[in-house]
Amino acid sequence: MMKRLKITLLLGILILTSSLYAQQSPTSAQTEAVTIVGATAHIGNGEIIENSLIIFENGILTQVLDASTTKMQYRGTIINAEGKHVYPGFIAPNTTLGLVEIASLRPTDDEDEIGEMLPHIRSLVAYNAESQIVESMRPNGVLIGQIVPRGGTISGTSSVVQFDAWNWEDASIKKDAGLHINWPNSFKRGRWWLGEERGLKPNEKYAEEVLKLTQFFNNSRAYVAGDQKQENLPFKSMDAIFNNGKKVFVHVDGEREIVDAIQFKKDQNLKDMVIVGGYDAVKVADLIKAENIAILSPRPHSTPNQDDEDYDYNYKLAKLLTDKGILVGLESSGQMERANTRNLPFYAGTVAASGMDKEQALKLITLNNAKILGIDDRLGTLEKGKDATLFISEGDALDMRTNKLTKAFIQGRELSLESHQTELYHRYSDKYENQKE
Amino acid sequence: MNTANLEGKYTLAVDGKNYDLEITGKPNTPKAEVKLGDQKIKSKLSYTDTWMQVLLSSPDSTKTEYTRLIAKVGENTNKISGRAILSNGQETTFSATKAAEKLEEPKKKEENKEETLLPIVPLTYPNMAYGFKELPKQEAILFKNATVWTNTEKGILEKTDVLIRDGKIAEVGTNLSAGKAKVIDASGKHLTTGIIDEHSHIGASAINEAGQNSSAEVTMEDVIDPTDINIYRNLAGGVTSIQLLHGSANPIGGRSAIMKLKWGSNAKEMIFPDSPKFIKFALGENVKQSNWDSKSRFPQTRMGVEQVFTDYFSQARDYEAAKKTGNYRKDIEMETIVEILNGNRFVSSHSYIQSEINMLMKVAEAFDFRINTFTHILEGYKVADKMKEHGAGASTFSDWWAYKYEVKDAIPYNAAIMHNAGLTVAINSDDGEMSRRLNQEAAKSVKYGGISEEEAWKFVTLNPAKLLHLDHRVGSIETGKDGDVVLWSGNPLSIYSKAEKTLIEGAVYFDLEKDKVLRNEIAQQKNMLTGQMLSAKNGGAKTQPATKKEDQKMHCDTLVTY
Repeated sequence: MMKRLKITLLLGILILTSSLYAQQSPTSAQTEAVTIVGATAHIGNGEIIENSLIIFENGILTQVLDASTTKMQYRGTIINAEGKHVYPGFIAPNTTLGLVEIASLRPTDDEDEIGEMLPHIRSLVAYNAESQIVESMRPNGVLIGQIVPRGGTISGTSSVVQFDAWNWEDASIKKDAGLHINWPNSFKRGRWWLGEERGLKPNEKYAEEVLKLTQFFNNSRAYVAGDQKQENLPFKSMDAIFNNGKKVFVHVDGEREIVDAIQFKKDQNLKDMVIVGGYDAVKVADLIKAENIAILSPRPHSTPNQDDEDYDYNYKLAKLLTDKGILVGLESSGQMERANTRNLPFYAGTVAASGMDKEQALKLITLNNAKILGIDDRLGTLEKGKDATLFISEGDALDMRTNKLTKAFIQGRELSLESHQTELYHRYSDKYENQKE
Repeated sequence: MNTANLEGKYTLAVDGKNYDLEITGKPNTPKAEVKLGDQKIKSKLSYTDTWMQVLLSSPDSTKTEYTRLIAKVGENTNKISGRAILSNGQETTFSATKAAEKLEEPKKKEENKEETLLPIVPLTYPNMAYGFKELPKQEAILFKNATVWTNTEKGILEKTDVLIRDGKIAEVGTNLSAGKAKVIDASGKHLTTGIIDEHSHIGASAINEAGQNSSAEVTMEDVIDPTDINIYRNLAGGVTSIQLLHGSANPIGGRSAIMKLKWGSNAKEMIFPDSPKFIKFALGENVKQSNWDSKSRFPQTRMGVEQVFTDYFSQARDYEAAKKTGNYRKDIEMETIVEILNGNRFVSSHSYIQSEINMLMKVAEAFDFRINTFTHILEGYKVADKMKEHGAGASTFSDWWAYKYEVKDAIPYNAAIMHNAGLTVAINSDDGEMSRRLNQEAAKSVKYGGISEEEAWKFVTLNPAKLLHLDHRVGSIETGKDGDVVLWSGNPLSIYSKAEKTLIEGAVYFDLEKDKVLRNEIAQQKNMLTGQMLSAKNGGAKTQPATKKEDQKMHCDTLVTY
């Protein structure tokens, strides 16, 4: 009887919880201080505090200390997190989250505008803050994302957002922060549906395509320097590149293409360029290092391009580049990229399995990604003065066995870890529990 | 692109040697002459689209070895630097510093053609990267002191020995005597049965016969491609058996090939011996061609799908009746469907949403047979009770969703709910990348739904073996079962663990140490082949632009193969 009552009570709570969280409402600004005591704090810069004391107020971290050596007063709500782990919110660069909801349904797809040179196209205004996929990132610790348009030679401009917001405006962390270029390929795939031979062959138009990109840059530079009498939105938007140091993200994989892109950076006098992808970057790592260019390395959960490559080439690529002294972050684009971005922590875990120190691997999705996106003044580590964007996990968050979040905060606001998916989980678990009674 | 004029005299520094490099000729067709001290070095220079490539022969003219130099040359030609690939395949950098612009007239010299025998490398099984020089043989191996995941009521045993002999698991216990067996110290390591992928499309040269709504006459056993590198990569991820399924273009698909991943064997030898008969069925968006351009084939709705099944099953009953009279024309498609109706061939049905799952069970029940497995089954959690009653098993993705409308309600808790409802649950891949990490996919059930590690591990081993009716052969570590085992560097569910050895029937098909050796051999061979090609090119052989045939990544919905 007691057991039955307990189950009924439990069920009641479950049902209540699931209906309460049917729609995950963003929470309002932090009003009371929060103190997390006793957790292993993974700072995100390679360091660990075994027994930590973390305090945040008004959305900002005010203390990150070793609890065993400080007498600091606890403040506000106290969370005992002994045996648990605290991490800075994971940062997912180069994603299309919020731009597409269901991949096969065109009405839900806003990732690729028509046209070749579209620097003025802005992802932020199409970002759906209420996407069910975005919501599903949070229970895995992925709390920040760079939302990137796709397609064309210049795809457009990305923004960085946080994943607990009513709308894109509230979500924005860094607005219109990066320009995205798909570097031409020196090889092209045969368009078999047009009767061309299948497979890869040299792209005879490669030089021409690079020239077009160069001309676009030259023309827009001339336009920006001129009287701008006639409105030209694409040219005008390039001003931020030439005069405000806006970052240029070049999506490029091949060895030759990477070297050409670096020459382009020099020729165009670009201040800040990031390589996105860089599959063959190891071959020209010294040059990349010498030019001080960072790399957003592709998702380790992919297969090698060539039969004869090491089976674990993709697993270890980020390590190989880090070992060369390059600043490396991890990105998640590829097959089913939106849904799969919640696996970002496990991508870092996979790199750790290839021999990188675990805290260094963690850096790939925290501090390094923050630096590469230009948000490390606010995000990427658990350090005094930064945003209180963090979470508590029962165990090692880079391993799927132990990545189990108990609490998560964005700018000090505790957010719900429920989702469309957990709602269905509760609903049907309840169904079968009720049948047993 | 601007073409620089390379003309001039350079000091070329590469691999600790200083050469004299003289470039003459027109800017777009420059020629090079190289000397090392007084010795002339054969060379070839090409310069296109701002990329310079130089081929240097070895100073030792008896050797056909080359150093390759590759550099991007901007407008400044005073110092050119780039990448050098030495004759041994090692990569380093080089620089060419301009000493003078003015040039002397180049001299022409006739070079002697040499006839040399090219070295021949041994054929391997398969004859490609990571092929074996000799096929792996059954060995007697004793794993000492391993943590053994038995998948039996004995659970996970610490410090346990497992003896593999004659292709079978001969003994599981402590302090086993090795006899003649090779002893492998497995202290601190974990030994498991091999991973089984219920839903795979690797090792195939075609997936869908999509011209009609039933293709029961075709079999995947006819299209096994034993040279797919993903077989080797799956072994490196601890996978030993797969069900190669037909695609999902038709309600009634083709027959399966159940395979052991015996890398190096031919297609026939890869088929799991005496494996039960299976066929693929499919429901939903793929069979009603929701995401196709053409909209002409029946069925176009889930309503039509029910009638397709009912129609074919009725035809098959009629065929069977006619066959008994002796007056009939043999029809392989009908023979196959009769096998299904009589329970002699099992069905693995691609399925997503609850309505269609329920429908297929009702149609099967009306014809008095059972659906063996619902594969993908992303809304299985909504009808787990009905599946239990019907007697169906489930093989699902761990966390895929949102790629099409019918997976809108797919949740990562699916496996856990179905398991808790008493179904036999497997986690499958349908993907050549995920299949090599199925241990991680199983581990996601620990995160999503709190399944115990021991049970989660069965999702990719014992449970798929049960679904494939092969659990008397594989899927657990106990005496008499096939010697299909994997030695892991740590807990097999941990992201930090690697498969160190993968055995099938007592033969080592993957070994991490051997893999390292193979990598080196491949690099050396590749370098040698490049050298031979360059030598032929220098000798005036015809050349063609580099092209590459790409392997297709196949899925359920792969229609056209190339």
